[in-house]
Amino acid sequence: MTAVQSPFAIGCGDFRVNYTQDMAIYKNVRVRRRVIFLVILFFLFPILAPEYYVSLATMAGIASIGAIGLNILTGFTGQISLGVGAFLGVGGYASALLTTRLGIPFWFALPLSGIFTAGIGALFGIPSLRLKGLYLAMATLAAQVIIYFLFNHWDALTGGTGGLVVQRPSLAGFSLDSEMSYYYLMLVILILTALFTLNLFRSRVGRALVAVRDRDLAAEVMGIDLFKYKIIAFAVSSFFIGVSGSLMGHYTLVITPENYGTQISIEYLAMILIGGLGSVMGSIYGAAFITLLPVVLRELMTAVREVFPNLESIFIGIKEIIFGGIIIIFLIYESEGLAKMWRNLKDYIKLWPFSY
Amino acid sequence: MKGIFGRKTGMGIKPQGGRSEHWKSRVLRRRSLAFATAVLLLAGTLAGCGSSKPAATTDKPAAAAAPAKTIKLGGIFDITGATADVGKPYADGAKSYVEYINSKGGVNGAQIKLIDIDYAYKVPQAVEAYKKLVQQEKVVAILGWGTGDTEALKESIAKDKIPYISGSYSENLTDISKAPYNFLGAATYSDQARTTLKWIKDNWKGQGNPKVALLYNDTPFGKSPIEDAKAFAKQIGVDVVDEEVVAVTALDSTSQLLNMDKKKPDYGIIQETWGATATILKDAKKLGIKTKFVGLNWAAGEGVVKLAGDASDGYVGVITHAFAGEKSLPGMKAIEEYLASKNEKLSDKSQKFVQGWVSAQIMLAGVKNAGNNVTGETVRQGLEKLNNLDLGGLAAPVSYKADNHRGTDKVRMGQIKNGKFEMITDYIGH
Repeated sequence: MTAVQSPFAIGCGDFRVNYTQDMAIYKNVRVRRRVIFLVILFFLFPILAPEYYVSLATMAGIASIGAIGLNILTGFTGQISLGVGAFLGVGGYASALLTTRLGIPFWFALPLSGIFTAGIGALFGIPSLRLKGLYLAMATLAAQVIIYFLFNHWDALTGGTGGLVVQRPSLAGFSLDSEMSYYYLMLVILILTALFTLNLFRSRVGRALVAVRDRDLAAEVMGIDLFKYKIIAFAVSSFFIGVSGSLMGHYTLVITPENYGTQISIEYLAMILIGGLGSVMGSIYGAAFITLLPVVLRELMTAVREVFPNLESIFIGIKEIIFGGIIIIFLIYESEGLAKMWRNLKDYIKLWPFSY
Repeated sequence: MKGIFGRKTGMGIKPQGGRSEHWKSRVLRRRSLAFATAVLLLAGTLAGCGSSKPAATTDKPAAAAAPAKTIKLGGIFDITGATADVGKPYADGAKSYVEYINSKGGVNGAQIKLIDIDYAYKVPQAVEAYKKLVQQEKVVAILGWGTGDTEALKESIAKDKIPYISGSYSENLTDISKAPYNFLGAATYSDQARTTLKWIKDNWKGQGNPKVALLYNDTPFGKSPIEDAKAFAKQIGVDVVDEEVVAVTALDSTSQLLNMDKKKPDYGIIQETWGATATILKDAKKLGIKTKFVGLNWAAGEGVVKLAGDASDGYVGVITHAFAGEKSLPGMKAIEEYLASKNEKLSDKSQKFVQGWVSAQIMLAGVKNAGNNVTGETVRQGLEKLNNLDLGGLAAPVSYKADNHRGTDKVRMGQIKNGKFEMITDYIGH
């Protein structure tokens, strides 16, 4: 009698016999089914979860879009950028100005602000042809400082420190005021962003970007126009960062310079480092991690201080230390980020108890 | 089944089996350890995410056990961030007042629960904290902190109808059409600057117009009064000759002060918190700059003396709230009584503690006026009923109306003499 195959059994090995299989987004039917299941789960989430958790998810999701954008530039193309904060701001301000001053509906302002940010990003990407590594980091930091200064001081356009007030978008007369509706907006755009990026790196452009990252000289020898592709990377990356900034602006309803400082740039870099450089899913894990960690730590500290009320001041300070510590530990023990850790965990479960 | 047994016994691998058993148990032990850690980690995260849930369920029985209900207030404070030097005593003061009022039987028989969150002076964290307070904790009103975050939240505040008293006295928050649920507990920064300018003009004995420099930081808080101050100075005949930007966390301001000294201003108006103010005063002393410095409310207080030492002598501050040392004030009795119950002394507390205390007092006066049906809207109406609310001398009396949430425009001027602030004026306006 032949052995009955367990429903959980998996074919031994992952053999790809042609290029179509190698390039497939879903390696097999099971993965596709799982992804569809997960997406359905995400669509059901706001119906099942309390409002506050939906708002946390929305913030993490919007950050994910920006993180994917940054990952295209830093993770896939190898160009360090410390200007994310400012580019988020460019998106936010562009969208605010388009909707309030010019009266353009949000649905057009969103992509337009992305395109505008892409232009600004490409402009500040020009030095990348000559600058590499730390030098490029400094050049993008300069972009951050210059743009931030404009937000703060160009009062006529940006409203100065008071910022600009924007409205929630509305769809066919229905305003996306509730947490749930904005969550769905975020989710749809996040899925589109993820799909675009996954597919980008199956295309000629995407492979060229990866070649630039791996060895720019070799890439140039192979006939890849470094300048063109670096600018493309800056533009595409900034597009998503701009869209993320616009979404965040219309979510919090106010756009002020304080949301776009240097520390935000560092935070986004932390997201993709912790999540995994050059990984779309990693960007999402990292964004969720960095957005939620302070919340989780705060809740833990609140719980702890109820038990030891006298130590309250110490615990509140410790929160920041733990935050830094966790990031360092992550980088030391799994430098490929959460995406790799998740893969390891999956492999572990898949092969348990006979891993080798 | 049979086959397996047969094979096992048949091949006689028992001795080897013993070794592999040992190996397996070691691996299993290691595995189970890893698994346990993973479970612990997961449990930790879940507990973290869900810890507010148990809290919510535990307060239900408490509410049911107590005869009265509980009114929830939110607090968004800076305890670890850039302005923690003044933020921490402010938060302490607000929390203390709530505890004090609870020990006195609460407000209209209801106990007050203040759910406070440290947002480290970061706007995104304040937005998140606000969502938690409003959506999860369902608070009726919030005591806030910074200018940047309060302005960033004002749209949501108006939409959610959450009365909001902030530590920020930005003029932008007095616009009823844009910030209908924001209330100010003291004179706005602009009013403080105007009063300072008028005080300078009134006390000016030199020739021509007094020359003034403005020192502030490049944040919504720092820049808030600058335009209004410049307009008012022009109006009353004070020359603003220089503006210098000193970061709120600055430890050095030499270059800015040298720059400022070229214009030889008679007065320097400081819009900072304690830390940067002390930096400016110390550097000015070091450089032998003759300019007299006047600080707006967050730049005044005991902390300046502590941080700047001798350099603070003669420094003038805009005093919106009473000092902990002013024991003769009737309002101070309650603070003393509360501190005595905690085995603490008034001398350990600062003016910012009093300020937090007063902010909570104003909010709860509004809650009291709201009566038995406490919602955001009734608290707003309750606050708008306050007319010359007597704060026992801890601050200028506040009044709100449906079309005016300024509270007051009165402040005192105080000067540091022998390491202590002494009042040199009564409550004055402009």
